[in-house]
Amino acid sequence: MLSLVPLVRRTCLALPALLSGSPFSPALAAAHDPIQSGDWVVWQVAAGAVLILSLLLLGIGLVLERAGRRRAEVLLGERLRFETLLSEQVATFSRVSGVDVDRAIQRALRRIADFLAVDWGNLTEYSDASQTARVTHWWVAEGVGPQPSAIAFEEIPWVVTRLRRGELVRFSKLEELPESEAAVDRQTYRRLGIKSQVAVPLTVEGVVVGALAFSTVGTERAWRDEFVQRLHLLGEVFANTLSRRRSEIEGQRLRQDLAHVGRVSTMGELTASLAHELNQPLTAILSNAQAAQRILGSERADLAEIREILGDIVEDDKRAGEVIHRLRGFLKKGTLELSTLDIGELVSQVARLVSSDAIIRNVAIRLELTPGLPPVCGDRVQLQQVVLNLLMNGLDAMRESGEGERTLVLRTSSAGPAGVVVAVEDSGVGIEGADLEHVFHAFYTTKPDGLGMGLAIARSIVEAHGGQLDAKNNPQGGATFSFTLPAIEKEP
Amino acid sequence: MSVPAPALVFVVDDDASVRKSLARLVKAAGYEAETFASVRDFLARRPYEGPCCLVLDVRMPGLTGLDLQEALRAAGQRLAIVFITGYRDVPVSVKAMKGGAVDFLTKPVDQGTLLGAIQQAVARTLADRRQQARVTEIRNRITTLTPREAAVFALVVTGMLNKQIGSELGIAEKTVKVHRARVMEKMRAGSLAELVRLAGEGSVLAAG
Repeated sequence: MLSLVPLVRRTCLALPALLSGSPFSPALAAAHDPIQSGDWVVWQVAAGAVLILSLLLLGIGLVLERAGRRRAEVLLGERLRFETLLSEQVATFSRVSGVDVDRAIQRALRRIADFLAVDWGNLTEYSDASQTARVTHWWVAEGVGPQPSAIAFEEIPWVVTRLRRGELVRFSKLEELPESEAAVDRQTYRRLGIKSQVAVPLTVEGVVVGALAFSTVGTERAWRDEFVQRLHLLGEVFANTLSRRRSEIEGQRLRQDLAHVGRVSTMGELTASLAHELNQPLTAILSNAQAAQRILGSERADLAEIREILGDIVEDDKRAGEVIHRLRGFLKKGTLELSTLDIGELVSQVARLVSSDAIIRNVAIRLELTPGLPPVCGDRVQLQQVVLNLLMNGLDAMRESGEGERTLVLRTSSAGPAGVVVAVEDSGVGIEGADLEHVFHAFYTTKPDGLGMGLAIARSIVEAHGGQLDAKNNPQGGATFSFTLPAIEKEP
Repeated sequence: MSVPAPALVFVVDDDASVRKSLARLVKAAGYEAETFASVRDFLARRPYEGPCCLVLDVRMPGLTGLDLQEALRAAGQRLAIVFITGYRDVPVSVKAMKGGAVDFLTKPVDQGTLLGAIQQAVARTLADRRQQARVTEIRNRITTLTPREAAVFALVVTGMLNKQIGSELGIAEKTVKVHRARVMEKMRAGSLAELVRLAGEGSVLAAG
């Protein structure tokens, strides 16, 4: 139809010439008046017809051109809006992380589905183990029934194969799907009520991990090339975001596992002292109970004494329970739990945990706590782990030191307005120059049975809390490990 | 029980509730009990002459149970020890047993085991003290011997004949006989066999 426009244009350009030779021109009419003939009449009619036709064509052409331009403008506008929408999504996804990702994807799906006026937009994740495409994020238009949460590969074999090859899938109506190869797919879509769909693969590092699909339910639908191409881009953005989140989660879990392993192995070193801590109340309970049995068996059972004994048994039982509670709290494998902590209280608790170990090793632990330090924010268990690790290291360092004074100082102090310092100072053998550089490296150890992970984990924990863990040798012998933690600003 | 006065059990443990409960159990079993929070506290108490024993924790802040065992031995005090410990530490238990401990029990300790060990320890203390008294007595008798008599005594118990002793010491066999009779008298030995036994008990054989 648009090809008419040049024709009309040409006609219009030819018009003045035509008009100049027009039979309706009075000058010409006068000039030709004397030679009136039948030919002339035919000419006149023909010219008139041509003129009318030309005008008509001109009018149609103008109308069409305007419609075409408007249509192009609309298309351009739509495309621009789509581009804007996509670039907004790209911008959003470059910023979001962690838990916000799901919400952002959900929102993006809704906006794009809205824009494309489709009924169902979803993100699926392929699982080779279960041979299904699991729907991880979706949006369904109002009035459209619930859609499946997973589709088996065997239900849409042709579509999955194409997507896995990195190709996109597009059909405006089911009949566009290949007759025999996609027979099963067709049947599935028919069952789901899907009439048209466009799907792009989600590729992470060259591997197709899922798909992004938009479908219409109930009505057929043509898909414009440029949108389809752009969806490819969106698929890439989604895929990158999801893979980034996966590695974030993975990294976090790894850190937590590592911290847990660190705690378990530290606990292993503490076993002797924990056995002792549990044995004391258990010993007291047993002896008390058996004493009570004897008293009750004797002729003159003293009830007051029995009552006193029972009271002591209850107390010792609680004491044993506390040991276990403390242990369980420490070994709990959980996610990071941030809370406001009193650093003095925290280090005192840990000191208590190692106190019997220190007795065994004939080491005195001296607490030097600065009162009135500002609170810090952090994960109690993880920070306890750091302190415990430093204390255990300190005890180990003094294993080889001679018969002299064996004191481990655990000190808290202020690091200016910005934070607090926790220092563990031993009077052991100190750290050799070469070791000082490496003590924080993973798998670096000077202990015969050490794993070399303790300090590496401790440093990563401290740094995750916004602090710093350092080691230095003391001028008077031994070494000091200290870490800083940012303080919470006091409420005005 | 044939024991006229109840034996006294000393309990040394740094843990207050363990100390208290052990003392209760021991008292409920018919003993007297005295508790101490540290080795130092116990060493500050004057030695008890009557039947007694020591129930001793191995690991304590400051001086340990093994330190106390060593100190008692050095002071020549005869006091049988029942060690109790929270750890199964083989080297430490070997050391304790070599040092003469009656038993090395792991916490928590059952009354049957503990009271059995205490009974044994009290008996050991008494026996040790009797033995010690006897050694002291024998040594006292030895101190009454003249140097010449002592020399004859030392050689007689090795099984030498008078003649051999005479030539060894450069004196007449007759003189040896006289000294020997004096030795038998001063040592209150009725026979050569008894004299040899007394020498053994008094640990004088090695000195010869």
